[in-house]
Parts: sequence; C-alpha cells; structure tokens
Amino acid sequence: MKLVVNGKSLEVEVPAETPLLWVLREEVGLTGTKFGCGRALCGACTVHVDGVPRRSCVTAVGDVAGKPITTIEGLAAAPALHPVQAAWIEENVPQCGYCQSGQIMTAVALLRARPAPTDTEIDDAMSANLCRCGTYPRIRLAIHRAARSLRGDPV
Amino acid sequence: MSDQRRGIAGGGDPDGVAGGAERLPRGIDLSRRGFLATALASGGALSLAVTFGCGNRNTTRVHHAEQSGELAANMYVTVMPDGRIALAVNKAEIGQGVSTGFATLAAEELGVPIDHIDIHFADSHPEYKTSFGMHQTGGSTSTNEAFGSVRHAAAAAREMLVAAAAASWRVPAGECSVGNGRVHHAASQRDLGYGELTRQAAHLEVPERPRIKPAREFTMIGKVDRRIDVRAKVDGTAVFGIDVSIPNLVHAVVLHGPVYGARATTVKADAARKRAGVIDIFAFRAGVAVVAEKYWQALAAAADVEIEWSRGEAAGLDSEKLRLAMRATTADGTTTRDDGHAGRALAEARTKLEAIYEAPYLAHAPMEPQNCTVAVNGRTAEVWAPCQSPTVVQAFVAEAIGGDADQVVVHTTLSGGGFGRRVVADFATQAALIARQVKRPVKLIWSRESDMTQGSYRPQSAVVMKGGLGADGKLSALTAHCISQSITLSSGKILGAVVPGPKALRGVVVDSLMAMFASNSMGDLFATEGIKDTPYQIPNLRVEFTPVRTKLPVATWRSVGHSFNGFAVESFIDELAHAADQDPLAFRRQLVAPASRQRRVLDALATLSKWGSPLPRGTGRGLARHLSFETEVGEVAEVELVDGRIKVRRVYCVVDCGIAVNPSIVRAQMEGAIIFGLSAALDQEITVEGGVVQQRNFDTFPPLRMFEAPDIVVQILDSENHPTGAGEPGLPPIAAAVANAIFALTGTRLRRMPLQHAWNERGGK
Repeated sequence: MKLVVNGKSLEVEVPAETPLLWVLREEVGLTGTKFGCGRALCGACTVHVDGVPRRSCVTAVGDVAGKPITTIEGLAAAPALHPVQAAWIEENVPQCGYCQSGQIMTAVALLRARPAPTDTEIDDAMSANLCRCGTYPRIRLAIHRAARSLRGDPV
Repeated sequence: MSDQRRGIAGGGDPDGVAGGAERLPRGIDLSRRGFLATALASGGALSLAVTFGCGNRNTTRVHHAEQSGELAANMYVTVMPDGRIALAVNKAEIGQGVSTGFATLAAEELGVPIDHIDIHFADSHPEYKTSFGMHQTGGSTSTNEAFGSVRHAAAAAREMLVAAAAASWRVPAGECSVGNGRVHHAASQRDLGYGELTRQAAHLEVPERPRIKPAREFTMIGKVDRRIDVRAKVDGTAVFGIDVSIPNLVHAVVLHGPVYGARATTVKADAARKRAGVIDIFAFRAGVAVVAEKYWQALAAAADVEIEWSRGEAAGLDSEKLRLAMRATTADGTTTRDDGHAGRALAEARTKLEAIYEAPYLAHAPMEPQNCTVAVNGRTAEVWAPCQSPTVVQAFVAEAIGGDADQVVVHTTLSGGGFGRRVVADFATQAALIARQVKRPVKLIWSRESDMTQGSYRPQSAVVMKGGLGADGKLSALTAHCISQSITLSSGKILGAVVPGPKALRGVVVDSLMAMFASNSMGDLFATEGIKDTPYQIPNLRVEFTPVRTKLPVATWRSVGHSFNGFAVESFIDELAHAADQDPLAFRRQLVAPASRQRRVLDALATLSKWGSPLPRGTGRGLARHLSFETEVGEVAEVELVDGRIKVRRVYCVVDCGIAVNPSIVRAQMEGAIIFGLSAALDQEITVEGGVVQQRNFDTFPPLRMFEAPDIVVQILDSENHPTGAGEPGLPPIAAAVANAIFALTGTRLRRMPLQHAWNERGGK
C-alpha cells in the first residue's frame, strides 16, 4: 500500500483495516502522534489527511492510501518550527506534553480556516482535544499569538 | 459490626468487599547503559559509586576524568570536557516542570546559562533514594528537596572548578569569580572555561559545605520562566514511555477481566494465534497476554481471543451500597487528633451543625495509558518506564522474575501525566512476566479501558463533620470522622520496596507494619490529612478515621487525602460561617493566626478577587483555602448555572509556596490543578456494580474540555522561604470553592461530588 506522509511516498505492508495511528508509529517510525483512547474521544492521535484533521486511531489506513497525510513531524522542516509550534513555546504551553501534538495539529487546521479566531471559535475547534494537565488557558493564548504571527501582525 | 474500628466491610466475599531504530529517552547515553547492562550481566554490584565516586576524594573520579575529560563531581553534576553540564534528575518529569526546576537550581549555583545544562533522568540507584527512602516522585516534594540537594551539588562542583583554576594561576580562590561557564581572575585578566578545568578539578576534594547563594544574589531562581522541555514537546521528538524502541522488541496487549483480579479460566485463541506476527497468547495472573512482533498485530489478534473469567477479587463490590454503608457509620474510629474536649464542647455549643461530605472513587486517567518496556535476562532485568517510582518498579519487576530489586535497572522516561497513578507499577509486573515468558524484550501498552478499569483509584470517601458555635459566634468545637479505604493498606507491596534489609526480614517487617495499619490502632498515613493538621485554631478538635475494606486497589491521586478532606472541611467551614451569619472570608480570617501564611493568603485573595464587590446577576462567588504539602492556597470561584449546567467562569488563586523557582511553572501547576480538580468536582466518578467498573473511556469519565475551562488568575506571594509543594496544593480548595459559590448563588448546599450529579439529583434546585 502506498502512503504519502509529510510529502514523502512510501510503501507499507499492512492489512487495509489497520489503524493509521499504529502504521505511522510502527511502520513509518513517526511517534510524535500519540495513542490516548483508541476511540476518537481524546484527540491525541490527530493528523491531517488532505489538510483536514483526522483521528488516526479510528482511521483505517486503507481509507487514506495515496492521500497526503501530515503529522506533527511534518509541519515544518526541522530545525524550523511552524508558527503554531513557536507560539506554543512562547506561551510555555506544554506540561506533560503528551496531548500537544494533537492539540497543535487541530490548531493549525483551525487557523487555516479562521485566520483571526474568536475565543468561541477556538473553543469550538479545540474542545474535542483533551488535556489532563489543564493547559487550555495557555493553548488559547498560544492560538491567538500564532494567529497574529501568521497574519504578520505584531505578536 | 462488633469492632467497627477495624473498618467497614462492604459485604460480599468473606475477606470484605467490599520501528526499527533504537529510540531512547534523550539523555540516556548508550555507553552508560552498556555499562549498567554489563554490570548486571556479570552479576557485579551495580554502583554509581564505582563510576562517579562518593566520598570526598576518589581515585575513580580522577581515573574517570583522565579517561573521559569529565568531572563527575557528585551524583547530580558532571562537568563535560566541552564545558556543558550533565545534570542527573532523580525525579520523573510528569509535566510538573521538574526538569526545568533542577536545571534552574544547578545553573544558578554553577554560574552557567540554563542552556548549558543537559538534563537526563537518573537511572535507578540507591544513592537516588532521596525521599521516603525511595527514588520516587510524589508528595509535591521535588523542588522542596532539590532546593537543598541540587544547589549543594552544583555549588560543590563550582568550588572545585574555581579551586582548580586558582591553583593553576597560583592565586587565592577568593579572588576568582564565575560567570557564563568560566572562572575569571579579574586582577590578572585571566579566565578558563569549565571544560578546561575538569581534569585538574577531579584531583580535588569535594567540598562538604560549599557556599550557597542567599536569595538576594539570585539571578535565575524566580526569574527563569521558559521550560527547557517544550521544544521536544511541540515538534514530536519527545520520547515518552510508549515511544521507547530497543532491538528485538515485541509488543503486548493484556486483556484484563471485567472484575478486578479475575483470572482467565478458558482461553480460545486458535484463530488469533494464526494471525500474522503473533508470537504467543497465554493466560497469566493478570489476564491474557497477546504478544506479537508489532503492536497493531497484537491489537488485531486480541480482538479474536475469547476468554471466560473467574469471579474476580472485587466481585460483589457495589460502590453505591458501600456509600450508603459508609454514611451509616456510627461507631467511633481511631482518633488522629484530639484537642480539648470536643464532645463536651459540642454538647454545650449554642449552635450545632452536622453534615456528611462524600467523594467517589476516581481514576487518574493520564493522557498516556500505562505502558512499560522490559528486557529480562535470567533474574536480572532492564526496564524503560513512564513511572513515578523506579524503586517500586524495581521491587515489582524483581518479584515477577524471582530476582532481587538491585538487579533491576530502571530507566525513567517522560510520562504523559502521572497524578499519582505511576507510583504503582502493576504495568511493570505484567510486562516483566510477559518478557520472561516470551524470552524477548517486551513493550506492554494498556488500552485506555484497562487504564481506567484496573484500579488504583482515589478512594471513595465520606467525612462526617460536626461543629459548634459559641454564643459569641466563634467556632468552639469541631469533629471530623473520615471514612475511606486506606491507601496505606493498598500499598503493602510499595512499602515492601522501601523497607531496607535482607529479603526475609523485610517480609516480616512489612507484614507487621501492615497488620498494625489493618488493626487501625494508629490511624492512617493519608486518610485524615488536611483535617488533623488544620491550621484553624479550634479549641476543641477531634479527628477520627474508620477504614473501608474492599479488594479494589486504591492509590495516591493528586493531593491524596487532601482531595476529599479539603472539600469536606472547607465546605463545612463555609456552612459554619453562614450559620454564624458572618462573611466566609472574615470567618476564616479570625480562625487563623494573625501573622500566618493563611491570613496573608486570605488578604491577598480578598484583593485579587475583589471579594465583597457586586457580581453580575446570576453569578455566585465561593471561597476555599487549604494547606497541603506545606503550601497554602486560597481560591475564589465565580459560578453560574446555565440550563442546569454548573459553569465555573473564573477562578482567582493565591499561592504561598515559598520561593517560586520558576514562576510560570508554579502558575501552570495552579491552573492545571484547578482544571484537574474541576473535572473531578463537577463530573467525574468511578462507580462499581457487581464488581465491574462502569466507566471505561473518556466518554463516561469526562475531563473538563476547553470550552468549559474557566479564566484563571494566579498570584504567587513573594517569599524568601524554602520552596514547598506546587504540583498538588492547587487542587484541594477548588471543589469546595465551587460548592460554596453554588450555595451563595442558589442557597442549595451540595455535599457530594461530583457536584453536577448532586445538582441533577436534586432536580436542579
């Protein structure tokens, strides 16, 4: 099966029903995408497929074969950071950090659709991503900061 | 029950009821890992002292420096030949920011920028058993402890480097200064980098009492705010336990029974065994292990396994029946504090109040499910675990493989949350048993459902409070009877890991300690904390404990006994204030000593929250304060009811935790504890029916989500006192602050968590 991950084409040999999450982690070797619940309830496994956030833990790999998949590792070419990642650092968002890949992937998609989101739009977009450490207030700040940065406004 | 002091049995059974490349955490260097593995394989004593030297002067340190150019000054600090500092952190990074804290403390004393410091998590070793006789992270002790030990270690290393430079220049050490990782001699305008001094410094004695900076000289403590671990946590490179990869690794799923402690009696796995990649499927004491080359293969095969289960240890447990039995407790418990004559004073009180406050079982539900990687070699093992206690992991794995704890090396990885759950190491036992069976290194990953149903919960609790007000409206008497399952009694195996001495003797000591706690002749380590040590000045005060016995394991959960006792005592104080017709803040203020931290926090909180100012219609304001882990925290919650839903709009928080080493991290811990605490206060509970835990994933055990997260305003009080806890103390006040706000808004007193359920049961009135 052909996958396109972070702009690279690669072949994996797995049954079509295998969850994308584990294909990314075990076959592609990209472990930044996390397992949290296995039932699309927490958002830790969020990746982009065709630019749209998807819960990789419940996405059969066969359904996304050949489509562009982006993971946290593919947001920017290291050592560069995506403005959302940079804002996360500026606002000291992560505590344990485990949910943050998923949070960032969701936030990147939000800012693509809404370059200047309101608090309510942020809540609507982000509320399916759980964080047990309670970083929500800082995520909100970081999204506003990233929005300013992406628009070229003073941060 | 003839001897209820021994506790409530809930009925039921006679015992009572009731990829490829090696991927390792950053900082673990393979050569050292190789050394440890070799030491184990050869059966040699595993000792950091061999490599790094303990004692003041050590030929091994000299030899090591000559070979490597590294100055291994002590167990924390190694100065590398390029001048960078390798700092061992003997605490787990569970999100609380301990790696940044340690780095800040070391950088301050060494006189280096924080980015010159490379932290690594210390592998298990006796020297790292620095709290409760354990190498462990808990009790909000890390910064409190490191403020002494890490600064001392760094200062000792600095003095060795300065002495080496001074000797080479033939000038007095007192004429030298340090900065930016170099030693300077101003008079002769000479300087040397730390990396150029390691070999000479290794020959010197380690100073026993190095000079440590007083607070007025701090340039980093209280000022460094950027976490050092954020970059790896936003670019996907941080290595958590679940991400560890070592050669020849296989992967395991464990299917656990529906009731805690159930064993598989029949396993049908013929089809599953034929699936690609499957290595073994077998029943063992914890359930059924499904082992495959890849985790996705084990997952797929697990879906094909049919199992019949035994009744299970916790069969018959029903949390609601147990709750009713706890409420009905009448016999006295074991007294843990007894000032004055509480019984007589209550009888003589002008106004008497009585109330029961209840809290449910709770799962920790960290975002990273429990997992563990173990390589077993005979009776030795090497473990990579997101754990809070390498010491406990050593003990549990040793028991599983029939070896000795000191022959188990534990590498602590990053943890995706901990909250007290990772002090227990049942996951490590299971991984070790599987690794021994399949004779290959194994990574076990629990499903979210296993993580949530396999116990080690915050205990269900009831606290019976009675209080009396004198004619002057002052609190003359208070009694609290705490009824809960004993975390101490659930921790026998953990205690076994701490008690020193030969194995046979240890067993006897642990058994007798457990028997002592089982008799409840001394109370409990955690069950009455937060009340028995209340800073309120109450002339007549009695606190008692009655244990509940079930087979469901309980454990430390963020703030432990304070999590339910804080709710009880701060709700009840609020009730007493209203009964005395006094302002709740003023009532508390006159109950604490005039020059106390409590009063300082209350006064700051009054200002910060604009206490007493008018609120918009439909908003209620509630206050609570609590002392835990030596830190005083006061919180004011502003609450609304929107279509029957309790909405916490804003929380003001004032904290006195001594010196805040990294203020942004202290604020983050307050924000995090408030949100973690609100999830529990409002919505979460673990309930048990017929021994079966009813909540299996985040849909039925809902954490607070972003749209419900309140605005949180945190003020850290200036202090020059030694740092105290930060990870847990923000939690205990929040539930009571919300319940008190609901009372202020509606006149309804909610005395049972989760509060939203209590509100709904009252028909939203």
